[in-house]
Amino acid sequence: MYFEVHQPMRLNRFSVFNIGSNADASKYFNNKLNHEIFEKVAKKCYLPTNDLLLNLINEFDGKFRISFSLTGTFVEYCERFMPSVIDSLKKLFATGAVDMIEETYFHSLSGLYDDLDEFEEQIRMHRQMIKRLFNYEPKVFRNTEAIYDNRIAKKIGEMGYKGIITEGTDKILGWRSPNYVYRPINSDIKVLLRNYSLSDDIGFRFSSRHWPGFPLTADKYARWISRCEGDLINLFIDYETFGEHHWTETGIFDFLSHLPNEVLKNKQLDFVTVSEAVDRYQPVGEIDVPWAISWADEDRDVSTWLGNDMQFACFNELKDIGKKLKKRGDDELMNVWRRLQTSDHLYYVSTKGLEDGDVHAYFSHYDGPYDGFINYMNVLQDLKQKIS
Amino acid sequence: MKVAMIGWEYPPFKAGGLGTHCYGLTRSLADKDVKVDFYMPKTKHSAGSSNKKNLVIKEVGETEIFPYDRPEDKELAGQFFESVYRYNNLVVEKVKGNYDLIHCHDWLTMKAGVALKEKLGIPLVLSVHSTEYDRSGWICPNDWFINIEREGMEKADRIIAVSHFTKGVIVDKYGINPDKISVVHNAVYPIGEGEKQEIVLFLGRLTIQKGAEFFLRAAKKVLEYEPDSRFVVAGMGDMLPRLINQAVDMGISSKVIFTGLLTEEEVRHIYRISNVYVMPSVSEPFGITALEAVSAGTPTIASKTAGFSEAFQNCLRVDFWDTDEMANKIISLLRYDPLHKTLAMEGKRELDLFTWDRVAEKTINVYRGVI
Repeated sequence: MYFEVHQPMRLNRFSVFNIGSNADASKYFNNKLNHEIFEKVAKKCYLPTNDLLLNLINEFDGKFRISFSLTGTFVEYCERFMPSVIDSLKKLFATGAVDMIEETYFHSLSGLYDDLDEFEEQIRMHRQMIKRLFNYEPKVFRNTEAIYDNRIAKKIGEMGYKGIITEGTDKILGWRSPNYVYRPINSDIKVLLRNYSLSDDIGFRFSSRHWPGFPLTADKYARWISRCEGDLINLFIDYETFGEHHWTETGIFDFLSHLPNEVLKNKQLDFVTVSEAVDRYQPVGEIDVPWAISWADEDRDVSTWLGNDMQFACFNELKDIGKKLKKRGDDELMNVWRRLQTSDHLYYVSTKGLEDGDVHAYFSHYDGPYDGFINYMNVLQDLKQKIS
Repeated sequence: MKVAMIGWEYPPFKAGGLGTHCYGLTRSLADKDVKVDFYMPKTKHSAGSSNKKNLVIKEVGETEIFPYDRPEDKELAGQFFESVYRYNNLVVEKVKGNYDLIHCHDWLTMKAGVALKEKLGIPLVLSVHSTEYDRSGWICPNDWFINIEREGMEKADRIIAVSHFTKGVIVDKYGINPDKISVVHNAVYPIGEGEKQEIVLFLGRLTIQKGAEFFLRAAKKVLEYEPDSRFVVAGMGDMLPRLINQAVDMGISSKVIFTGLLTEEEVRHIYRISNVYVMPSVSEPFGITALEAVSAGTPTIASKTAGFSEAFQNCLRVDFWDTDEMANKIISLLRYDPLHKTLAMEGKRELDLFTWDRVAEKTINVYRGVI
């Protein structure tokens, strides 16, 4: 089991009239809103789930094993607003039953830039952060929202990682099962593939009354797992699933607290961290991914962030600003630029499923994608003026 | 199924959304094999005749009053209330035949609807396209209208509201049981795209309800940043002299064109060539004009409270009084091509959900619930 822990730095209202007003670039970010949301999620999810996981690890004497991926922006929030969250993560890591996964510090789309130097730089920043907090160097990499293609796999192999995580989508697997380890076509590392069906049973469907699996109990879920064929099942879930996407009242914490026991009742099942998984299993085949995939939406590609003209315009603007900034070398503006790269900013501009008012609206603080575009683009225009 | 429908206006001659709605609704009902006799006042403009098998337009008597008229209008000089009563009585006399139900639209024919329900002993369905609160812009609403509206709403077997916003007004202000109100959003016959020019358009009656003054304030702000943009205020109404003065006082009169009343063809043309449509209504039960603009490939900025805004996703929303934000959005549409393009494209796609066929279907469901 692996949990993604991320919070973006949401933007302030920024109108066209603010462009070129020489306001400090740090004013782009809505500190008040970000603080509020972080505190709310920390109380509902991070702190209680950390506690529960620690108890479970101790109760099962380290046989319950998990992995985390923490983004840099999330850690910055912790350090600024609630250091106790970091303390509890350190306690979890100290049990030896918890692994840390590498990713880009800013949870960005830099893996999709034509030039991968920024991607590499952000991974290095993340590496330093994990080293500083846990004195540990991750062995397995997972890109933003599991975005993956051959080019990214090759780069991660060159950077010395043993494994990489992505979505076990049918598009790349065809008839093959995600419950084995694979090898990229062009690199000698191992690929862990998310079992999206079982992962989404917890992440998306847990509290859905229309779902035939409802109500999902730990013993039912363990039974499903025990019937699966293969070497391993990768359950990769947003950490906010616990207490935030599904509230306490849905029974999500009860589910989690009974899960280790129900799984470990089966003699053939155990828990491993992502590093242990890549050490224990050998690849059974190759995967070839010329076009980027991800774990997002039904499409499982990058159209969530790059699906309409507005998103492409922002993405290109962002890249151009980066090229200019790198020539100029202004640390403060560079940091602001990187925070603007967090994929969430483009996610808010997605027009997919707009008429059904689906999950995108749930996560956005804007009145729709068009509002999101105007605000984000205005900020980018201001930053552009600052460096020209 | 046979329906006696009582309306006030019908294209080609019409003053507002009520006429557009009746046209689309009756034609689609006729296509679905519902027989409709549409009663309306005889005016000096002759009504369109129907080429549909199941639809008959019946002109009754004469009146000079329109649903958007106010008693204080000079031309009606004190005859306002009498003409309304006289006309309603006439309708009650003229509606004869074997009908399954009566369907009325807005306050003007409500009295006739209620009387016919009692006389013929058949159910009454009432469509509410606007209330006195909307038409007055929530400033000094007139009790005479409100009382007529309340009586009609109370006696109707079912009410069709053009938005949840309007349903809310009917429940809160008129004390009507929400269970007998169905919401049916409006629709549009698509207009088609044209060659776009740098024109920002307002189109509507120039009354307090439609908020043209806020449009001009936003225009002033936009022009400070985008001096080449042009603004068109299309339509007529009692606010016209004040609006012209306002434009002159703000020093933007060379950039604002007041068109006066436009023909249907001119309306279509102006939608087609405009780059941005703004609907800054103070109170807007639905706002069909916004759908018309979208159907001409023109992205729309609409009041947050408009029924259109609650129903339509691919638009920009503002508070009508927030002219800075309105200007922000106008400028963004003028500057950011990808925004304009995506809104136009996605908007046209969403229009597939707003057909008169669908409106007729939902209306028939309401009919079935009462007969």
